[in-house]
Amino acid sequence: MASKPMFRFLLRRFIFLLVTYIVATTVVFILPRAIPGNPLAQMLSSLSQVAQANPEAIRAAERTLMKEFGVDKPVLVQYGEFLLKALRGDLGTSISYYPRKVIDLIVPVIPWTLILLLPATLVAWILGNTLGALAAYRRNTWIDKGVLTSSLVVSQIPYYWLGMIFIFLFGVRLGWLPVQGAYSQGTIPSLSWGFFVDALKHYVMPFASIVISTMGGWAIGMRVMVVYELGSDYALFSEYLGMRDKRIFKYAFRNSLLPQITGLALNLGTVLGGALITEIVFNYPGTGFLLFKALTTLDYPMIQGIFVILIASVYLANFIVDFLYAWIDPRIRLGQEE
Amino acid sequence: MLLKVENAKAYYKLEKVSVKAVDGVSFEIFEDEVVGVVGESGSGKTTLSNLVSMNILKPLTLVEGKILLKINGEFKEISSMSREEVKKKLWGKEVTIVPQSAMNALMPTIRMAKYVEHLAHSHDLAEEKLLAKAEKRFEEVGLDPLWLKRYPFELSGGMKQRAVIAIATILNPKLLIVDEPTSALDVVNQRVFLKVLMQLKRMGIVRSIIFITHDIATVRQIADRMIVMYAGKIVEISSMEEILRKPLHPYTRGLLNSVLTPEPEIRKRGISVIPGAPPNLISPPHGCRFHPRCPHVMDICKEKDPPLEEVEEGRRVACFLYSEERR
Ligand SMILES: Nc1ncnc2c1ncn2[C@@H]1O[C@H](COP(=O)(O)OP(=O)(O)OP(=O)(O)O)[C@@H](O)[C@H]1O
Ligand SMILES: [Mg+2]
Repeated sequence: MASKPMFRFLLRRFIFLLVTYIVATTVVFILPRAIPGNPLAQMLSSLSQVAQANPEAIRAAERTLMKEFGVDKPVLVQYGEFLLKALRGDLGTSISYYPRKVIDLIVPVIPWTLILLLPATLVAWILGNTLGALAAYRRNTWIDKGVLTSSLVVSQIPYYWLGMIFIFLFGVRLGWLPVQGAYSQGTIPSLSWGFFVDALKHYVMPFASIVISTMGGWAIGMRVMVVYELGSDYALFSEYLGMRDKRIFKYAFRNSLLPQITGLALNLGTVLGGALITEIVFNYPGTGFLLFKALTTLDYPMIQGIFVILIASVYLANFIVDFLYAWIDPRIRLGQEE
Repeated sequence: MLLKVENAKAYYKLEKVSVKAVDGVSFEIFEDEVVGVVGESGSGKTTLSNLVSMNILKPLTLVEGKILLKINGEFKEISSMSREEVKKKLWGKEVTIVPQSAMNALMPTIRMAKYVEHLAHSHDLAEEKLLAKAEKRFEEVGLDPLWLKRYPFELSGGMKQRAVIAIATILNPKLLIVDEPTSALDVVNQRVFLKVLMQLKRMGIVRSIIFITHDIATVRQIADRMIVMYAGKIVEISSMEEILRKPLHPYTRGLLNSVLTPEPEIRKRGISVIPGAPPNLISPPHGCRFHPRCPHVMDICKEKDPPLEEVEEGRRVACFLYSEERR
């Protein structure tokens, strides 16, 4: 399986990823600094109220803080330190949650995000592709038209809008489901049945809104791809040879699945970033929500930290995709040059 | 006789207009012969092959005419079969087309042996039997049977072409239609491919072959008879020798002249020695469709469409130069 061309292919991909990783982290370093505003100013002003406006003490505090966050050094040095530390897993200290470490803030929210997004993404992918393939198989029937129209409509609905409708309908109007958080306030996460049921109730709406709003895109993509494949030369030739329709459809499906798998893996890669809007709408304690808070308080280290983790996971996913692809598609595995 | 086409018209019916890609053609294919179909790009050759194999889909519509094919010793009107019936009874066993883009004709992401197995399932045959047959056929077309265990893209262009032919003939179709099989090949591979075709016919694996091309130089090496198409119509049908010796239709003459000119440039571009361009098939010229380009144009050519008439034994031409009507 691990043939020489495949190894070369993966090595090439790896080098490519390394280079783009450096570029991406650079952007992450620059971007928050480009947002107007000074994160320390806010902190100092709240400090000044506590410290009874002693200018000497405030200036001393400012110096310590600047040193702590490293913003007293030239930007290039800051950048170098950021890269080095990031490689060691040290993402610095949060500004808005000072003095807590960024990594300690991110790690506890990651499970919540993963629990929400991994299943939601997978379910949406499976449902969407199944529907899309079905539509392609039953081209130009009412099934096809139904799938296509509803997918188009659903994929055009803004995320937050769907979330808010859910909240209004099932949360406020019908009162069936809790409207915010990942579990009821005041309960402590534990492995008890009661907590599980409580969390599940909180889970339904964010989960459903993600599945519904992303499913349509998969369905449309899959349909287009399968229809295209069904019109390709090998499908035609197979027909001429008397190959059964079902088999030809399987071929088309197989060949359409390749790009969809890439899409899925890339999507899974971004999962760690959370579903920003869904998490905001549902007040769900995931990385998206954390990022939202970090952005509103201009918490550079936190923003950077989340993005560094996000980028790393996207890249990991990319690498896994390449590997999968090389494994599924013999043209890549056996080293065909396109 | 193996196949008979009677006054067939097949149009691409688009929203407002119809492309009259095949407009009233009649011909027959005998058993045990190779018939070349030549004509410029857009003259309706591929459409004709779709017609003959009853692959009539969406915009293409059989407007008029009959197609008869000898199946198990008796003629069946295949033009009245449903697509399901055509697929079940015709394709693979009676008629097989190797489409114009044969290079991409094999399912790319599975091994060819697997493909053969799938074919066996589709035809309710035993896997091992068909595989054995495929191995034999690969040998017959000059490919090591070991290639069956590979993916199509691992083959070179010429080998791929032969693999496609081997798989296309695996169920011994009586009529094999090949559409521009040699255009993508270099001269050496072209020759090998023609040899393979002839051999398949000699061994009785296929009975008759329709060889579609715009390249007369190739088809003259293999065909017994030739059908010349122009703008959706057949302008001349003749044996290869006769047509080379004395082409009758002015279009055929132009076509042959272009092949026989010494300059490779002109030879490559084929028809370009005949001034003008082929007409558009939505509203073709009145009368004879070739008349705007014809060096021998007469008044009658602009008014009446010349019928395809027998002028000599086994020789038909659609031109008023040879018709009684002119006088
Ligand atoms: N799907 C289609 N819809 C509409 N018109 C079509 C379609 N396919 C072919 N045609 C038209 O029908 C005419 C005949 O096309 P056809 O493909 O049969 O020509 P051809 O002789 O095979 O040409 P080539 O040598 O380029 O393969 C052309 O005018 C072409 O534009
Ligand atoms: Mg063609």
